[in-house]
Amino acid sequence: MNDGRDPFLPGASSPIARLVEAFHRLPGIGPKSAQRLAYHILRTQEAEAQELADALIEVKRSIVFCQQCQNLTSRTPCEICTDASRDRHSICVVEEPLDVLAIERTNGFHGLYHVLHGVISPSDGVGPEDLKIGELLARLRDVETEVSEIIVATNPNLEGEATAMYLARLLRPLGIRVTRLARGLPAGADLEYADDVTLGRALEFRQEVQ
Amino acid sequence: MVTGRIPRVIRTPAIVLRHRRLGEADRIVTLLTPGRGKVDVIAKGLLRSKSRMAGHLEPLTLVELVLAHGRSMDVVTQAQTIDAFPAIHSDLDRLSAGMYLLELADRITVEHAEAEGLHDLLHAALVRLARGDGQQVVQRTFELALLEATGFRPELTDCLRCSESVAAEAAWWVPVEGGVLCASCAKTYPEAQPIDATALRVLRAFQSVPYEEAGRIRLTDELAARMEQAMHALMRAVVERDLKSAQFVSAARRARVAGEASEDTETAKDD
Repeated sequence: MNDGRDPFLPGASSPIARLVEAFHRLPGIGPKSAQRLAYHILRTQEAEAQELADALIEVKRSIVFCQQCQNLTSRTPCEICTDASRDRHSICVVEEPLDVLAIERTNGFHGLYHVLHGVISPSDGVGPEDLKIGELLARLRDVETEVSEIIVATNPNLEGEATAMYLARLLRPLGIRVTRLARGLPAGADLEYADDVTLGRALEFRQEVQ
Repeated sequence: MVTGRIPRVIRTPAIVLRHRRLGEADRIVTLLTPGRGKVDVIAKGLLRSKSRMAGHLEPLTLVELVLAHGRSMDVVTQAQTIDAFPAIHSDLDRLSAGMYLLELADRITVEHAEAEGLHDLLHAALVRLARGDGQQVVQRTFELALLEATGFRPELTDCLRCSESVAAEAAWWVPVEGGVLCASCAKTYPEAQPIDATALRVLRAFQSVPYEEAGRIRLTDELAARMEQAMHALMRAVVERDLKSAQFVSAARRARVAGEASEDTETAKDD
């Protein structure tokens, strides 16, 4: 039944308002961007909008956690875990699936991964039990494991450091070497503005000039 | 003549309590300042790799800030670390305890409410933690001082119901009421829990003596654990929510104990 309102005007219950609201819920999208995206969808061909809708539904239905590394994948175990050419002696532990992509882009690591899906962050209500730490321990306790090194690649901030140290403490009894990504000055940095912790670590882990 | 104008720029020391993401690269940073209590400020571009302020605005850092007056929130224009407490960051037990102190200070205060002395209280506790003082003493004395400063001082000596003085051996612990009950009043209070007499005596001492004296009291691991259990329950009741950092303090300690036990077993095998 038409209540007399134009369905194209962005009132609270109009289809446009629902779409704007849906976009607004996405990370990094403010109200203006949400409106722009919604009106862009309105201007596109129906097939294009259908393609977007199908992609959204498909990604939700077909993407699962890899049973080994806990990364998001369309088949489990994932491509990286089943790749016979990868080094099975080291696992790089990262916070999020996007970190796997970042490390893969470097072409400098050829081992396996483990995705925690977060970090220990009490202020956000996240404790160790909310992360995929149990799955990592189960993986390492497997009698067939060949892993001899865990590289903890959590972010160099308070939560990342807490998670790295907690993992190191849990893994010590297993006799596996636990390492942490080096921490220092980023490319293009300015010493004058570096914080004390970063500068201190950069000095502590200085290297001989080749 | 004094005008009511708000200064456009202010300079203040602050302890960074936490931050959360705002948009693509900005962050809202929650600070505890000496003059303005707890405030949220915007730090722009903090998530960009070339941000000159990112390292200075990490939680558990004492910073000197320049804040520009903004419409809804002030904006950080300069940040310089005064103390990053590196000794806390290098040890998991101290780090988890530091995170607990931050969460307590954050949860118990309301934004912009007067928080006279809370900044100094937190700063002193972090300095003590960093210089290697007993973590249990630092945490318990901070909890008690924080409760006192915010009007939640627990009643540890007299019964909350009948106001009679309670012997430590006969006391019952009631976190939701904020203190102890005598044995006869506790009978009518199903939520009352038994509390270890020594733990209560030490908490009473912590409440009444200066920090330096409290620091001289030796705590066994078992006694410290009982005091921690009682105080965590009390803090949870005061802030009316679970404190994840308190659980993390316990999880970190459990992992340490398990590691030490495993090392002992290995050594015994070698012998």
